[in-house]
Amino acid sequence: MATTRNPVTKMAARDVNVFYGDKQAIRNVSIDMGMDEVTAFIGPSGCGKSTFLRTLNRMNDTVASARVDGTITLDGQDIYASDMDVVQLRARVGMVFQKPNPFPKSIYENVAYGPRIHGLANSKADMDVIVEQSLRRAGLWEEVKDRLQDSGTALSGGQQQRLCIGRAIAVQPEVILMDEPCSALDPIATAKIEELIHALRGRYAIVIVTHNMQQAARVSQRTAFFHLGTLVEYGVTSDIFTNPREERTKDYITGRYG
Amino acid sequence: MTAATLNAAGNAMPQDRTPTDWTSPAMRQRIARRYAAERRFKLMGLAAVTLSAGFLAFLLFTMMSNGLSGFIRTEVALPVDFPRSPLMVDPAMIKSGNGAQALANANLPAVTTAAARAAFGPEGETLLSESAWTALRDAIIADPSILERKATIAVPAASEIDLAAKRTGSAEAEAIVAKLNAKDALSSSFNMPFLTASDGTDPTQVGIWGAFKGSLLTMVVTLLLSFPIAVLSAIYLEEYAPRNRWTDLIEVSINNLAAVPSIIFGLLGLAVFLNAWMLPRSAAIVGGLTLALMTMPVIVIAGRNAVKAVPPSIRDAALGIGASPIQVVFHHVLPLAMPGILTGTIIGMARALGETAPLLMIGMRAFIATPPGGVTDPATVLPVQIFLWSDEVSRGFVEKTSAAIIVLLVFLLAMNGIAIYLRNRFEKRW
Repeated sequence: MATTRNPVTKMAARDVNVFYGDKQAIRNVSIDMGMDEVTAFIGPSGCGKSTFLRTLNRMNDTVASARVDGTITLDGQDIYASDMDVVQLRARVGMVFQKPNPFPKSIYENVAYGPRIHGLANSKADMDVIVEQSLRRAGLWEEVKDRLQDSGTALSGGQQQRLCIGRAIAVQPEVILMDEPCSALDPIATAKIEELIHALRGRYAIVIVTHNMQQAARVSQRTAFFHLGTLVEYGVTSDIFTNPREERTKDYITGRYG
Repeated sequence: MTAATLNAAGNAMPQDRTPTDWTSPAMRQRIARRYAAERRFKLMGLAAVTLSAGFLAFLLFTMMSNGLSGFIRTEVALPVDFPRSPLMVDPAMIKSGNGAQALANANLPAVTTAAARAAFGPEGETLLSESAWTALRDAIIADPSILERKATIAVPAASEIDLAAKRTGSAEAEAIVAKLNAKDALSSSFNMPFLTASDGTDPTQVGIWGAFKGSLLTMVVTLLLSFPIAVLSAIYLEEYAPRNRWTDLIEVSINNLAAVPSIIFGLLGLAVFLNAWMLPRSAAIVGGLTLALMTMPVIVIAGRNAVKAVPPSIRDAALGIGASPIQVVFHHVLPLAMPGILTGTIIGMARALGETAPLLMIGMRAFIATPPGGVTDPATVLPVQIFLWSDEVSRGFVEKTSAAIIVLLVFLLAMNGIAIYLRNRFEKRW
């Protein structure tokens, strides 16, 4: 399975198993995620796609009962190795969550926080440049440039989510993980986020979990279908949606279950 | 086949039920009962609030009506003929600025007694407070020229006269007051010494400053110890500690500790701080340590709830851009939890400020006539001072007790005011 290799692999997983206590959530997943691509994870609720996403920046470490087996590499370096610094890993592999979660601080502070704790700006002027650039890339600059000191939580849901993307961009990640970033948003806000994903492709490796198959078809170059903790099929997005090899994939994308 | 029967059963159901008549008498009665129930509940709630407000108003009114007279003192106009008095002082020394020192040995009490006898008869000095001579001293320092003439100085009255002038004294004293009033010799003024002096044996001379300062020092020690320790414990238990039998045990112990009667903490303070650590008796540091033990569990419990209430999405957000666990705590969790932590601190500190029992155990009930200079000096605190004065035989202490309660309430309100101000500031920052 998952024999299609990307020309340049950014992150790769080999025989990954994830356990929550005695319960196994992920079984033997091996997958490569490309450098210049958007990779989508689809599958029914509870299939483990979000769990797997959270192993990619070790967010599962915060769950006491979680245990991860197998190897996951970032540029060939094992991220679960003992010499890997989790804090730095999470700066290199940024994350955007299902529910927009800006800090209850100003818009400026939301974006500036990451660069500040990692010491990426040498001066206030530096920081201003980083904030503007990040918000421009997140497609939010024009809407908020006159009210950077307003609270981030006062923005609309879609703007908040773009602010969260801008916040992730500000620390110059190599990979951005998105966990159902549009599930709490209306169709117009969703369209904006999808445009943004298009614009960001190439600059960052993007991995997106989505419930919405049309979204996966629209934004991704490769799609992985998860079911019951296993990776059923992984391939070029157009192949998965028009010509799936596995029966289960076909049933899912034609709406037989999900 | 199965589907058909299900359908048949499903169709039969609506036919079994008659359409609801929303205007039937039974229905109207039900509506009327519902409205009545809501009205009853509202009235009961209002009655409960009124009752508690009434009790509070009654308490404040009694305290004020009893206590306010404690801030007023009665003064007797005492004519003093300085040139003819047995005063032994060199006027030059007073002018040179060492007046207080010079007058300390100038036999002023004898001058006062002589003047009182001359003005009010053979037992004249009994009308005046024992501290009456200090009024003469202050008058001379303020204006040394009165030493060369006859002057009338307002001096504090004795306790019985003071009470009678406030219409709470004995019949004999009231008769004397009537006579003095006829001579226009009585006046009243703000009792400044009550705010600047310390405990004493004569109710006209006692003051609250020593106890106030003792309370202040004790509260500072309590806050400095309990706040940081409790906040760190709360954060550690919520954010870092693994969930196991040990942390469960610690949690149960803390919850029980918050419910332990305060006098037990006094015994603990006596055994540990006084007997084992040999810290000084009656000192604010020991009181503060003891009250800190009592306050800590309250702040820990409030702090844990406040930390728990910070949404996990904020932690995820911070971790997701590479904040370390300690940065997550100090940059995000703690600021958001601070209003809740401060609320717990207000409750704990207010309880500590009003605490008497544990402080009796560590010797803070001693008679201390000088205000403490530091946390290791013997001190007493406001509630203990109130307790001590309420125990006094002399009737003059009744109004002093109530006045001390007013001072305690003002202290409490000021403390809570500061805490609420801080809490609102923290809330506004976000």
